Amino acid sequence: MKIFVALVIIVLAMYSAQTSLLTFLDYNGVSANLMLLLIVSTALLRGHYVGVAMGFCTGILQDLTTGDFFGCATFAYMIIGLIFGKFSERVVKDQFLLPVLAAPIAAVIYFFITTGFIHMLGYPIDISKFIHTMLVPLIFYQVIFSLPVHKIVYDFDKFVHKHFE
Amino acid sequence: MKQQYKQKKPSATKKIFAVIALFFIVFCTILLAARGKFETPVANKTAMTVLSPFQNFFSWAGSQLAYLKGSFTELQYLQRQNRQLREEVKLLRAQNLTASEYASENQRLRALLGYKQVSVQFDLVAAGVIGRESVTWSSVITINRGTLDGVANNMAVVTELGLVGHVLEASANTSKVQLILDPRSSVGTLVQRPDSRVAGIVEGDMNDPNHPRMVNIPKDANVQVEDVVVTSGFGGVYPKGIVVGKIKEIHNDEGGLLKYGIIETSVNFEKLEDVAVIVASREAPPEPLPPIIQTPGTETDPQETAEQLRQAQENLQQAQEQVQIQQQQQLQEAQGNLQQTQEQIQQQLPPQDTQEHSQAEGDAQ
Repeated sequence: MKIFVALVIIVLAMYSAQTSLLTFLDYNGVSANLMLLLIVSTALLRGHYVGVAMGFCTGILQDLTTGDFFGCATFAYMIIGLIFGKFSERVVKDQFLLPVLAAPIAAVIYFFITTGFIHMLGYPIDISKFIHTMLVPLIFYQVIFSLPVHKIVYDFDKFVHKHFE
Repeated sequence: MKQQYKQKKPSATKKIFAVIALFFIVFCTILLAARGKFETPVANKTAMTVLSPFQNFFSWAGSQLAYLKGSFTELQYLQRQNRQLREEVKLLRAQNLTASEYASENQRLRALLGYKQVSVQFDLVAAGVIGRESVTWSSVITINRGTLDGVANNMAVVTELGLVGHVLEASANTSKVQLILDPRSSVGTLVQRPDSRVAGIVEGDMNDPNHPRMVNIPKDANVQVEDVVVTSGFGGVYPKGIVVGKIKEIHNDEGGLLKYGIIETSVNFEKLEDVAVIVASREAPPEPLPPIIQTPGTETDPQETAEQLRQAQENLQQAQEQVQIQQQQQLQEAQGNLQQTQEQIQQQLPPQDTQEHSQAEGDAQ
């Protein structure tokens, strides 16, 4: 129960920081997506089941609060949790370069899933303009924030593993 | 604790099914939500309520950071602006100083120009004082005009206030001017007052460098304190009528037969910056006649009378010109007639007579 509460607090704090604090550092309305980094780090450390679960929870939170298309973020986050969770079975988990490399890939996957859904729902999208104005700054922010977020997730995971597993 | 945690783990097959089901549910939810058939107002409100304390805190922290960032940016801007303003103040102060200098120079030159326009009997060359002799600084000055500007030795130097001195030595671009305060200088002068007109010589006083003396005044001469002293024109260096100063004090000379006056010069030699060199002088035009006192009841306007007189003179001149033209025309006509008559006479005379007449003229000669 304590782990769950602590996890909820971490998620809420990160999400609040993402939606409140990081907006002061935005570039053309784009800032870092800490939830995406949280899912990637969790999936890399805990595997695809936990990655999908984390993607579901954070996605639901985002869709309930700020999401324009309900379920879109949830679906994208779950896919990302699944992919990087599967990928984590083949890599060394203590490697800190891994989340830095995974962050831009996750950003690209998230971008194309969400734009794909928007396109599928019948909204016109200028994909090249979206790449320039949204994806490039997002990748830049994700790379910068990937290590701090991974450090938080890694320390929490280590703590849980040490005391409860 | 660890044991209990491990016991709660579900099997792999259940997990796979759960994941697939979850994906399916989420996908369906997206489609339903996009068509407006799925809404979660309660969940939305709950999520917002749970999230609001965190968001408030981070929003506050963000606003503080933004405020700090804004303050820092503003501080930098103010610092830069302050530096620019300081530079501007420096520049404006320098410009103000230059403008004051120009204003002062303008005022002096205007006064000099006014004097030049009034003194039509003099041809003046304006000059600036560029130096003073350091030892006897009050006696000789250097001006920035020389022989190339028409300045020559012994030319008088004046300001609009009065006499300054004369050119001691003129070079190409500069000239040395000996002031009337110099003990070696002597200026022939007169008392301007009409009932006095006493002549004297103004020369510098070694003991009182700022006040020259007017010497060689007979003891019984009609000279008073406050009398204005002007140049007499004697000696040829200084033109007549330039103001030298006023008599400040009168003292008896040591010999007992003469007296001298101490002159308060009209020119302030300590503030001498611009002067004019008299390069040529001529007789002053006569002063305008004073207005005549008219008999009451018969007053006429002097200007109107002068205008009528001028008109009459012009009419007279025109009439004279017309008469001259008529006379010239008549003369020309008479000459033409005479010439025609002579030609006719020559044609009427026989050729032999003409030859004889010519021979007779030759014999006579």
